[in-house]
Amino acid sequence: MPLPLRYSIGNLWQRRTRTGFTVGVVAGVVLATSLFTGLVSSLRRTVTSSSSPDNLIVLRKGATNDGSSVVSLEAYQTIRHLPGIARDASDRPLVSPELVVQPFFHTLAGGRENVLVRGVEPVALQVHDHVKIVAGRMFEPSQSEAIVGKNVAGRYAGATLGSDLHFGRGIWKVVGLFESGGSSFESEVWVDVRELAADARRTPPFSGLRVRSAPGADQEALARRIGADPRYALEAQPESDYYAKQAKSANTFYVIAVGLALLAGIGASFGAANTMYASVQARIPEIGTLRALGFSRRAILAAVLLESLAIGLIGFVLGGTLAVLAGRVISAALGGIAFGASTFSTNVITLRVGTFDLGVGALLALAVGIGGGLFPAARAARLRPVEALRRA
Amino acid sequence: MKYLPLILRNLLRNKLRSLLTLVAIAFAISLVCILRTMPAGLNALLEHAGSNTRISVHNEAGLVYPLPYSYLRRVKAVPGVVAAASWTWYGGAFEEEKGVTFPNFAVEPDALGRVWEDWKVSPKALAAFRRYRDGALVGRQTLRKYGWKVGDLVTLKGTLFPGELRFRIVGEIPVERLPTFFFQREYLDQTLQAQGSGLDWTGMIWARVDDPSKVAGVMAQIDQMFRNSPAETASETEKSYFRNFFGMLQGFVTVILIVTALVALTIVFIAANTASMSVRERFREIAILKAIGFRRRVVFGMLLVEATTLATLGGVAGAGASLALTDLMRRGAGGATDPALGPLAGFVVTNAILVEGIFLALAIGIVAGVIPSFGAARRSVAATMREVF
Repeated sequence: MPLPLRYSIGNLWQRRTRTGFTVGVVAGVVLATSLFTGLVSSLRRTVTSSSSPDNLIVLRKGATNDGSSVVSLEAYQTIRHLPGIARDASDRPLVSPELVVQPFFHTLAGGRENVLVRGVEPVALQVHDHVKIVAGRMFEPSQSEAIVGKNVAGRYAGATLGSDLHFGRGIWKVVGLFESGGSSFESEVWVDVRELAADARRTPPFSGLRVRSAPGADQEALARRIGADPRYALEAQPESDYYAKQAKSANTFYVIAVGLALLAGIGASFGAANTMYASVQARIPEIGTLRALGFSRRAILAAVLLESLAIGLIGFVLGGTLAVLAGRVISAALGGIAFGASTFSTNVITLRVGTFDLGVGALLALAVGIGGGLFPAARAARLRPVEALRRA
Repeated sequence: MKYLPLILRNLLRNKLRSLLTLVAIAFAISLVCILRTMPAGLNALLEHAGSNTRISVHNEAGLVYPLPYSYLRRVKAVPGVVAAASWTWYGGAFEEEKGVTFPNFAVEPDALGRVWEDWKVSPKALAAFRRYRDGALVGRQTLRKYGWKVGDLVTLKGTLFPGELRFRIVGEIPVERLPTFFFQREYLDQTLQAQGSGLDWTGMIWARVDDPSKVAGVMAQIDQMFRNSPAETASETEKSYFRNFFGMLQGFVTVILIVTALVALTIVFIAANTASMSVRERFREIAILKAIGFRRRVVFGMLLVEATTLATLGGVAGAGASLALTDLMRRGAGGATDPALGPLAGFVVTNAILVEGIFLALAIGIVAGVIPSFGAARRSVAATMREVF
């Protein structure tokens, strides 16, 4: 017959100070781990959510990002007319020639950051279909107009609707504000590609192309065909692959995060074991009595383990709640976290502790509950009733 | 001092508890030390790597905007400038499928040794760098990563420029974590001329000023000289350049510091738990000590020292473990960390971090021990005895 759940919970309540401290340990570890993985997940989500499933990105062979690539006008003209490319209502191919430049922007806080400015044609809004203008309008080509991403607006001097934005050699009027579901585009400024090329004095005008494949068309064949043209030495890959590669530094961080979570978890398990041993120690006569009353070894084991698991559970609930709140508070206080040594330009990420990060925290709390409770529970179960009662 | 044996005895009384606490604290402190290496790596770079007498002159619009090459001559002529060199990003990839894995720049071979005197490149390597048109001087990190030796031939494929360039490695730059690969500007220029273009611009200019007090004046003079030209310049010291370049990691570092603080907080809980448990079961003993004449202060001190000793021992063990763990992490990465993580992923536990970790443990021991010890020392003898008997 198992011991009632009330017995385990009651024991925790009996020794409130000790339970409180141990719950604090578990909560702290869960909070730290969830926040750290949350940061990495947010970084990753920002980068990977920039892709559209139908899109190919065309870069020069060997270029790792669009900042280090060059695509000629002839290549663009050729690729534009390949079969298998989606077309808009007026039958123009959905190929977006793009140029990226990273000029200095001055933050309102007084710093200087490299911001990614993307030169595009109006067709870009159809190719990057998750980019939506939420205020104002799209820029008019050759009018020195710009639209700015959600994370750029308000971060830099002049980056608000209707203001003059100074970057590169010119002055640009901000006429629109766009969002794209939290992707890295939201940290960019978009202007007319030809104006940007003139401003940056780039002769081969584009750094890359985005190609939207037609519904049902063989995307792989299209990519192969672009890559096989010996005149241009270009390489086409699905945007999802490209952004997954861009997020690779996030993977390295995940490894670090998991390693650190492991360390924290082991430390916390020892802390929990300490509490549980003490709890068993203080109850030796009681456990002897229970055994004498006929409760099995297994019932004792389960009761003690349950106690430890309950600590883990309460710790997780507390730590997880705090992690979600802390994520909100931190991102509100820091106003988005700037990151981006890899692409050389600033990527503003919004810290959010999501389900995955809480899952990592939950696993950790479970491991601490089991790891901390197993040995003390085994010890309690092994107690011989006669000896245990003698201590009373 | 004379109480030391008693304190030690008390620590050893419940060996299991002391051991569990010690190990728990050790793990947490090692975690703190490892986390601390991330911001510390960034700070070390910002504090030490940058020089105050070397200035970077770049286009006011941004680092990717070029400068006319003729600017180099004019910068050199500014009084106070000892030497100046231009950097032109080549963007060469050694393994094409991996892209650009180390920075490579075209530079003037005769100026390199003088602008970066502090790199202490051997005169022999510098002489060879001047002599061979296709020579390359390579930072130690990249040489090690690819196992290259002086005399090796290396081909880099241009990602921005058409074609590829073949280099002969002529020397090492003996700076431990420097990945940069330098080659002669003339070589790139001639290759491009053969293809019908040429190199009449540069990415940026580095200049060394002879006297720190002149730096501000020289920078102002340079920027003034190019004002209202097609490419206005912005000059800054190397220190400020690094600060701006890596400034965007600052927000990330803030979150890591918050996580570190949380881990430290859990150590407080672990230590406080142990202290309160061990004090509680000793109420009777403490009452007897006081009854036979031990001062409250002495009892309090002994209990506090006990908690602090345990935490500090855990701190020492944890700091030591962090050394071994980071060594393992670096070896696991094969000596090559992800370049995107920059200075955050060096994982170098410095002596300062070790000392910090141990002192943190000590401080935590005090914080965690103070309340239980004080409570126990203050407890009235009569009350305790009444409870116990």
